[in-house]
Amino acid sequence: MADRIPGSKRGWGEVIASLIAITVALIFAFPIYWAFSQSLRNPIDTYTVAGLGVPWINFTPTLNNWIDQLGTPETVQALYNSTVIAISAALLALALGTPAAYAIARFRFERWKNRDITVWFLSQRVLPPVATVIPFYLTMRYLGLLDTKFALVLINATFVLPYVVVILRQTFLDLPVELEEAALIDGAGHWGAFWRIALPLAAPSMAAAGLIIFAFTWNEFLFAVSIGSNTAITVPVHIAGAIDTRGVQFWFMGVRAMTAIIPPVIIALIAQRYIVRGLTLGAVRG
Amino acid sequence: MRWTGNIRFLLLAPAVIWVLAFTVFPLGYSLYLAFYKIEQKVEVKREKQPMLDAAGKPMLDDSGQPRTKNVVIKDQVNSATFIGLDNFKRLFGDPQVKEAIRVTLLFVLIAVPLELVFGFLLAVLCNQHIFGRPVLRAVMILPIFATPLAVGYTFFTIFYEVGGPLAWTGIPFLSNPNGALASVILVDIWQWTPFCFLVFLAALQGVPEELYEAARVDGASPWDMLKEVMLPLLIPTIVLVLLLRMAEALKLFDIPFAMTGGGPGVATQPFSLLAFRTGLRFFDLGYASAMAYALLIVVMVVITLFFRRLRVSYG
Repeated sequence: MADRIPGSKRGWGEVIASLIAITVALIFAFPIYWAFSQSLRNPIDTYTVAGLGVPWINFTPTLNNWIDQLGTPETVQALYNSTVIAISAALLALALGTPAAYAIARFRFERWKNRDITVWFLSQRVLPPVATVIPFYLTMRYLGLLDTKFALVLINATFVLPYVVVILRQTFLDLPVELEEAALIDGAGHWGAFWRIALPLAAPSMAAAGLIIFAFTWNEFLFAVSIGSNTAITVPVHIAGAIDTRGVQFWFMGVRAMTAIIPPVIIALIAQRYIVRGLTLGAVRG
Repeated sequence: MRWTGNIRFLLLAPAVIWVLAFTVFPLGYSLYLAFYKIEQKVEVKREKQPMLDAAGKPMLDDSGQPRTKNVVIKDQVNSATFIGLDNFKRLFGDPQVKEAIRVTLLFVLIAVPLELVFGFLLAVLCNQHIFGRPVLRAVMILPIFATPLAVGYTFFTIFYEVGGPLAWTGIPFLSNPNGALASVILVDIWQWTPFCFLVFLAALQGVPEELYEAARVDGASPWDMLKEVMLPLLIPTIVLVLLLRMAEALKLFDIPFAMTGGGPGVATQPFSLLAFRTGLRFFDLGYASAMAYALLIVVMVVITLFFRRLRVSYG
């Protein structure tokens, strides 16, 4: 890309800017690096490691913490629960949200205008979750669904639904409408135009939206800790449990933090192109 | 191009019904709870019951009377008493609420502007041809998607005052009330400056080249360029990011839960954490619902501002 500020001097100014950028990158990467460094230490090295805690230089790394933690049934259970809940919630939200997004993008609504509907969906996202957690808890207790993955799938699908609606609405708007019109003339009907023409074209966007909302569900904590207590614990709840029962064991905490952080971060890097649009609820194109 | 076939309602209905069922219904239920005092008590009763033998017949003692045993019966009783606006009145006199409001406000008013300023400056810095940009862009995605709870615990170990990597500074990161609040703010800045940065960078890259060219022809200095070209063009994005961040910051929960547990004392207990504890740890459900509604009203004010802006974007 060309020099974006034509007034700025090339040369030293650019070098200094690059150095600042890299320093900032190092600062922002440090906490995650630190968690990783801690996960490789023997308990005895926890408080005594000097400097930046570089493996092999400041201490002898070990994989024992990883083997120990990943071998416990609770960790395996938490990883399994989180994966199942996040995938189910993403699929459910896509199934509900994609047709709605198509309706808003392609049809005209009169009494409530299209943008009112969009904004209504968005308002769910801005709602403080603590306002719904108590009634949701009571409802699930009444239905006997406390501590089930099912309850967490339902609630997470609700919270990520606005993302699906808003991201895919924009995707459908960006698709050329002529293809669907041709299908309508051929007698396919609106459903056929949606199902056979628009949906396959929107598939990459759906996949990206699915990845982003998978990450959100994976990271969700308030509902997970309120609903799940024994069997339906997710990865964040599992981390929170570590401190209550055994005091702070930094070396295990490092492993648990890394197992929580790695999946959503990798997913975010895959869906990088869509992140800005997703996080601003479609308002800014990335 | 807007069609009007009736299938539009069929396509829209599932999502609308779903949202009504899972957010509007709980919100209504919550409002109802806010007017009640809900108590969960365990009532203990003692009762004499006849003892039965293996065949299910009453066992008799030596004198021919049925033998009895004392049984303790525990019953969980949920009682709900209508108390009108008392829960809301109680909010005003509750020192914990006052402290939680102070924490939340300080947090929103300090963390959010700093995130915007740092994010904006970084974006301007990276909006030129520099070799550090791809690295920075990739690294900046990490904090946004790193599990907040894991981030909280990781920073707990970083701020640990005995043997932590920052212990040499002697700063009471977690043990001092003001230090702990500053630490929570610092972590939030770490996690959300990247978001501001990425959005501002995307917006800056959308500014047409010609505008810079024109400004340069007019002899604008880099400072003029920033003030007269970039800032005005970015105002809609800045307002959007500000409101998104404010709405999110008012929900603050995970980081203090993990890093400080709301402490020391209640020095870092934001409103969400207080409402959560009141409702789901102490089971004062009616009062907690009133708290949640108070927060909801504040957020509504922010949202109303926010939607004026958003309606423009979704027109």
